Amino acid sequence: MIVFEHVGKRYGGRFEALANLDFRVRRGEMVFLTGHSGAGKSSLLRLIMRLERPSRGRVLVAGHDIERLHASQLPFYRRQIGVVFQDHQLLFDRSVFANVALPLEIQGMEPREIARRVRAALDKVGLLYREKALPIELSGGEQQRVGIARAVVNKPALLLADEPTGNLDPQLSADIMALFEDFNRIGTTVMIASHDLALIARLRHRILRLREGRLVADEEAA
Amino acid sequence: MSRDDTPARRGARSQRTQASSRLRAWGRHHRAMGLDSARRLVRQPLGSLLTMLAIAIALVLPAGLWLMLDSARLLDAELAESATLTAYLEPRVGEGEAMRIAEALGAHDDVAAVRLITAAEGMAEFQQALGLGDALGRLESNPLPASVVVMPRQEAPAAMQALVDELEAVTGVEEVRLDLAWVERLAQLAELGRRVALALALLFGLGVLLIVGNTIRLAVESRRQEIEVVTLIGATHAFVRRPFLYSGAWYGLGGGLLALGLLNLGGHWLATPVSALAVSYGAHFAMPRLDVAGSATLLLCSTLLGWLGAWIAVGRHLASIRPR
Ligand SMILES: Nc1ncnc2c1ncn2[C@@H]1O[C@H](COP(=O)(O)OP(=O)(O)OP(=O)(O)O)[C@@H](O)[C@H]1O
Ligand SMILES: [Mg+2]
Repeated sequence: MIVFEHVGKRYGGRFEALANLDFRVRRGEMVFLTGHSGAGKSSLLRLIMRLERPSRGRVLVAGHDIERLHASQLPFYRRQIGVVFQDHQLLFDRSVFANVALPLEIQGMEPREIARRVRAALDKVGLLYREKALPIELSGGEQQRVGIARAVVNKPALLLADEPTGNLDPQLSADIMALFEDFNRIGTTVMIASHDLALIARLRHRILRLREGRLVADEEAA
Repeated sequence: MSRDDTPARRGARSQRTQASSRLRAWGRHHRAMGLDSARRLVRQPLGSLLTMLAIAIALVLPAGLWLMLDSARLLDAELAESATLTAYLEPRVGEGEAMRIAEALGAHDDVAAVRLITAAEGMAEFQQALGLGDALGRLESNPLPASVVVMPRQEAPAAMQALVDELEAVTGVEEVRLDLAWVERLAQLAELGRRVALALALLFGLGVLLIVGNTIRLAVESRRQEIEVVTLIGATHAFVRRPFLYSGAWYGLGGGLLALGLLNLGGHWLATPVSALAVSYGAHFAMPRLDVAGSATLLLCSTLLGWLGAWIAVGRHLASIRPR
């Protein structure tokens, strides 16, 4: 599903955020990405979304060299990836419901179908009762869960999550991880960047460890 | 990446339903964005009104000038039709002889009709026109010659000039005046006016683009985060651009409506003095009004200008917005 071939990423010409990354993630796999702050986790995920371009090497997703995607194809590429952003990226001028509905509206889905799917997604993250609230009225953890609902509402083939449990208590973190596992079980490829070493160790999935932009360990699922 | 919806698996029929549902989705988004952008304008009534008023003012000037010239063209045609020659008879010619000369002139091939104005009639007309009845009434003798107004068959300037020469050769005719010069001057003036109106229209049209462009630029800036987010989750440029295009079109339409209102108001305000002035010149000149077609054209142009201004502004601005 995802192939990194000797990928390097420099910001501003000198600073090397990622160096010589070489790995592949199979379709339907669930992978954790970990490492210290600044190790390059977010950068790696942004490369997959093609929000950044590699300074060297190639990134292939579903067999396509995404560098070759034309600007006009990018929206359609991104629609197939569900992303939970580290900083949520919610719209604060509209309700929780409207935020989660956004990816479906962009695709022009029928309003009735949108409502059905949005409610299902909100139900999964336990926020159905807040659908009319504005994001500003929610706690940090609740906002994060709205972001998760938005990422999964489209039933994407690939799910990327950047610190999805950063603001959640242990119980909620475990629930959210279980949610990702559910998606993984029905065939979604999942890649999660996380600091929560205790939690991800318990979950027994493959772990990629980054240090200073290098892949220092690739531990297969136990 | 593609899930199990490979084209091979889909029949022609489902492809057709998919195309039609995509079309419906497109129409739905247009409707939603049209309404949404209208709602945004209404939510900021003062700002929207000011923008529309600025557009209206930019439209009123060239449109008003154009209207005036358009009716001046009608007037101008009326005047050209009534282009006549005046043959002034020699002072010594008496009333009887004057009638004979008028008949002779009327018999000319190129003359359609003649009308004799005797010295006394000429005096009366003159007094009336100047309102100087008494002062002239006290004159010993009438200093005005009799004259014959000649309606030519052909109004082309060259033909008229030839006729002038021929009529001047008739005995008893002192001088033939061809009052074409001022008609021509008027036509030139009207042409000048039309060009000025066109230049103004271009200039002010550009003004409308700038007004709308600037307003939309601010709107894009204020919704920057939203644009970044929808781009992150796969919105196309067209999707992002749409609400702003509708805003621009609404601004243009609102500005056009206000301009129509201003034009009518101005028309009413000027109608009385203008028609009085026209009557004093013996001309019939009604204050011009925009008819339905003209109003529709104005609204269409203003709406298109608003849309275009938004398109340019959004296009320039979107390139600078990259999702973080
Ligand atoms: N747009 C950018 N311009 C310049 N440097 C950047 C940019 N984005 C990231 N970096 C640098 O690249 C390095 C990796 O950043 P990245 O955000 O990928 O780290 P991370 O592993 O996600 O960290 P954290 O756990 O704190 O989120 C950091 O040192 C950061 O300063
Ligand atoms: Mg990060």
